[in-house]
Amino acid sequence: MAKEAVFESLKSAIIDGERDKTLAAVDAALKQGIAPADIIEKGMSPGMKEVGEKFARYEIYLPEMMMAAEAWEGAMKVLEPKIMAAGGERKKTGKVVLGTVAGDIHSIGKNIVGAMLKMSGFEVYDLGIDVPASHFVTKAEEVGADVIAASALMSTTMTQQKNIIEHLNARGVRAKYAVLVGGGSTTQDWADQIGADGYGRTAGDAATLAIKAVAKKGGKK
Amino acid sequence: MLSFSEVVYRALNGPICTERDFDLAIFVPNLRKVLQKYDIKYDPQNPIPADDDFADRIWEAAMEFLVATGMFCLDTERRILFTREEIEGALQTGPSGSVYGDGKDARIMPRRYPEDKTPPWCSGCGAGPVSKEEYVINIVKTYAEDALSDGITAPCITNVDGLPVQAGSPTAIEGAIRTIILTREGLRRAGRPGLAVVNEVASAIKAAEHIAGHRFGDPKVDHLEIGLIHELKIDLDALNKIMYTQSLNNLTFAENGVIIGGYAGGPAGVAVVTAAYNPVDMLVVRGAAQHPFIVPIEKGTTSRRDCIWARAAGLQALSRHSPLPAVGSGYSSAGPMTKMSYYEFAAWVIANVVSGGSCEMGVPYRGVLIDHCGPMEDIFANGIAHAVAGMSRKEANKIVLALLAKYEDKIPDPPTGKPYPEYYDTTARPNKECIALYREMRKEMSDEFGLKFRKTSPYG
Repeated sequence: MAKEAVFESLKSAIIDGERDKTLAAVDAALKQGIAPADIIEKGMSPGMKEVGEKFARYEIYLPEMMMAAEAWEGAMKVLEPKIMAAGGERKKTGKVVLGTVAGDIHSIGKNIVGAMLKMSGFEVYDLGIDVPASHFVTKAEEVGADVIAASALMSTTMTQQKNIIEHLNARGVRAKYAVLVGGGSTTQDWADQIGADGYGRTAGDAATLAIKAVAKKGGKK
Repeated sequence: MLSFSEVVYRALNGPICTERDFDLAIFVPNLRKVLQKYDIKYDPQNPIPADDDFADRIWEAAMEFLVATGMFCLDTERRILFTREEIEGALQTGPSGSVYGDGKDARIMPRRYPEDKTPPWCSGCGAGPVSKEEYVINIVKTYAEDALSDGITAPCITNVDGLPVQAGSPTAIEGAIRTIILTREGLRRAGRPGLAVVNEVASAIKAAEHIAGHRFGDPKVDHLEIGLIHELKIDLDALNKIMYTQSLNNLTFAENGVIIGGYAGGPAGVAVVTAAYNPVDMLVVRGAAQHPFIVPIEKGTTSRRDCIWARAAGLQALSRHSPLPAVGSGYSSAGPMTKMSYYEFAAWVIANVVSGGSCEMGVPYRGVLIDHCGPMEDIFANGIAHAVAGMSRKEANKIVLALLAKYEDKIPDPPTGKPYPEYYDTTARPNKECIALYREMRKEMSDEFGLKFRKTSPYG
């Protein structure tokens, strides 16, 4: 199969959110001798980009985003070891620790943010829902994150976003992480009030803010 | 109807499943299958559909989807499944015509149908987050002074003596207790102590917070609102609330806000899932009313065209087939004291009422800005709801299209309006500017759309 056709099959498998189809396309591409980095950059990444664009236009929704992200992650589990074995390094935009704050069980917005961050090349550590403030910090320290992204839907749970920043200060590590906040009840004023580094009014804002935050830190990983 | 103990048994012993598999391997494919089978499609040109066959197809799609999918209990990671016979059993024996409130403030929660002349239930008060306790009293008092107000949703206290209310902490317990005490005082001052409080603590999340608030209200008259988790999920804390309310014959508002852009996908899927929640609200939440609202994943306003369509389509489906009344709620994108918020309230309330629903009047500016809430839009919406009872869906569709033209393009960047202290005076009443705007908007609705209002509030 011509390389272009291979890249096209990778792209459409990602857009379709078909994990098995993506893995089969990756396997076929590797057998053809296509470099793992090219499989990612020329085949898979354009697919993820299109998924993000379709979501922004409301042509697809959360399920498609999550399945595309799963297909991506499945393929990366195959490709990253090969890149490292060849002495290379996968260019990641950065690392994000993500979660819904303590007392809050809403996950949909967080899940969309997670998918969009992955599409932008971030390594995402999703802690889930009802996550105590300290757990965000502990995980960020453990993985060497760049960004902590905390979601809160309710007015009575958004105070936990402030708690995260206080925990960072208490451990003397505030300067190491950009803290981004979002969720139904949050506003820019709230983010400013608590000293967060960014506020995402929409899920799409999260990736943009995270990219800016990493660039400000002075390096892509 | 299936007993609640059987529901609990299923939550603890049903088939094991991961959340991911429930969402992506069960919920989504099952929904897509029925959307295709029953040809359910969103029509943006007609935000209020007027096709009974279409409504019936949505209902059939919803029932088939619910039987195949069931619910998911987050804490036990098990599915709660129902047979079609069990669902039909609930529909045959479910609550209807419940009486809320007491004495001369007692009101029947009506079952309604599309284009029904039956006056809709109207509750609300503009229940957003407030910074001061006296605002709760005054906001509730003003709304309760409108004779069309059938019930109250309490505003949210955001702090207890300056300490922010934090879910799961003693501040949330104290906040819940104060909320109901203040709300009852507002009703007493309005001369309507028997009015039902239908979401006695809007800010409460945990069972302990709800129960604490309820203990300090009037258990005969005050009711919990119990919400499920997006989509078709529940946790043990919600089941705990239900176990409590069951013992008190509580007339629970069973809340479900299906998200456009979430697992239900676009407006068509959202309409089907909204209808599917109706029997769930009887079987699991043991509600006396379904309390649906539809929001997009971004920006949280309910007045977008696709939200209005999904609301109307879903309500028509369930109202034609279920005895359980649906009291739809809403959020405007614009803040209070703006013409835009009035247009938005009018649009979704009209869609609600002509589609067979009743209304909880909701909050301006998506309820996210402290003190950017208040009762006047809700009182206005009471009037709209009663003015359109009996209107045809076709006629209502024309009005909603005209309203959308006035505000739709401003939704991405709406005006924030004024905070409550800037439009209330020192006598705890709306000030002249506020009353003038309220009257101007009523006149506009009347002049432009022929809506007839009655003088039921002190403000005309």
